[in-house]
Amino acid sequence: MSEERTIDGRGLMPPEPMELTLAALDTLPDGEELLLLLYVEPQPLYGILKQNGYTHRSQTRPDGTVEIYIRKA
Amino acid sequence: MQPGLSFEQAPPISVPFRFFLTAPLFGMAAGLLLLWQGPAALASRWTSVALALTHLLAVGFMLQAMCGAMLQMLPVAAGANIWQPRRVTQLTHAGLTLGTLLLLAGFLAEQALFFRIAVPFMTVSLGAFALIVLIALFRTPAQGPTIIALRIAVFGLIVTITLGATLATGFGWQLALPLTEITHVHAAWGLGGWSMLLVAGVAYLVVPMFQLTPPYPAWLTRSFSITLFFLLTAWSLTWLPLQRPDDLQVALACAAALLAVVFAVVTLRLQGQRRRKVSDPTLLFWRLAMVCLVVAAFAVILQQMNPAEEDYVGTPFLLGALLMVGVFMPVISGMLYKIMPFLNWMHLQKIGKPGLVVPNMRQMIPEPRMMMQFRLHLAALLLLLGAVPLPFLVYPGGLALIASCIWLEWNLIVAARNFARFSRELEERLAAAEQSG
Repeated sequence: MSEERTIDGRGLMPPEPMELTLAALDTLPDGEELLLLLYVEPQPLYGILKQNGYTHRSQTRPDGTVEIYIRKA
Repeated sequence: MQPGLSFEQAPPISVPFRFFLTAPLFGMAAGLLLLWQGPAALASRWTSVALALTHLLAVGFMLQAMCGAMLQMLPVAAGANIWQPRRVTQLTHAGLTLGTLLLLAGFLAEQALFFRIAVPFMTVSLGAFALIVLIALFRTPAQGPTIIALRIAVFGLIVTITLGATLATGFGWQLALPLTEITHVHAAWGLGGWSMLLVAGVAYLVVPMFQLTPPYPAWLTRSFSITLFFLLTAWSLTWLPLQRPDDLQVALACAAALLAVVFAVVTLRLQGQRRRKVSDPTLLFWRLAMVCLVVAAFAVILQQMNPAEEDYVGTPFLLGALLMVGVFMPVISGMLYKIMPFLNWMHLQKIGKPGLVVPNMRQMIPEPRMMMQFRLHLAALLLLLGAVPLPFLVYPGGLALIASCIWLEWNLIVAARNFARFSRELEERLAAAEQSG
């Protein structure tokens, strides 16, 4: 996972993480993954991803950070 | 940025706005009632004035805003879709607005007729809301402590509605019911089972999100809602008309109050550890609410330990002011100042096109205006608490409450007007871009 494909949204005020994620998806090459780090499961983002042909999987770290991996379906 | 992405899951913006714009009106009405009745409003929790006042704040302000937020939050934050959102919204909003007026008329005029209308009307509208929301919460694929807390909270709302309807039936048809016992349990589920658990469930999401704190510790989110639910259930059973186990009842009430203290202290600690040490109105409202929750919980414990003090007339007013004006109104005001700008932003995204920048969330309500309402609300709270030893303070307290609610209403109107203005501007720019392109 390269640095530029990771968005750490944990210290950002909503909706900044969503704006950054949507912007990053614009330039995400097919087959590549984007990693988003948050303290919550971003349900609004999931809805947008699903309707626009992206898949995602998430896992929670022990400190409560949620890792969300996003790629084109 | 790709604003072409769809935001279809969110209900129309008018769905939550109508609840949010109605709630402060009932807060103003509560202030007016305080001015009209003066120190008489403090006489006892059982007077018609005290009951009217309680329901203006609990149903008119709190439940109104909470239902609007719930209808908005479920699809957006929990991935749970509401069945027939428009109809459910209309029915719930009518049930809350007319229902509050019916209860107010019933208590103040002491007319059975109002309760006879209120019982079927509020049971159907609010009961339908609760059931539909509960079903949505069980059907969502989302998981986690927020969903669990919200499910229990809505169950708590159903208990509150059922007991409230029972009480109103008692008033409406002059039935010989154990009104005192039912009222205690009704109030405990309304404030503890529904409101407190809703706040907790929402806090797990929004405190880290909007106040930039570390997440709530898992030991708390895993156990808080379920423990409070069992304590409340056990406590309620001690009110059944059996040989009443007094000691057990006191122990359970104190345990529930201590649990609330734990939640409040954890929240205050998290807020102290936030990454950006900037204060915003929402943070101040929430910190005030958590401090009041600690004070209210210790007041409950003191009252439980000294049953003789229960009849001291100031106690119910003190607890009511602490919990409703000190805890839940600030939590709700603070949340509205995040929800309204966020909804504006999200719905404006729907209009946008690539290259078109949508106004920032901070542009929706000017921060100094929100800070002003915080100060007014703090003044209202302190004056109303001061009215317990110095009853004449109820007059400036009532005035400050009205001022705080007028300020809140105006700030929310500003947000709604900014949404209309920004969406018009976006559409004009879109049209211009299409013409030139």
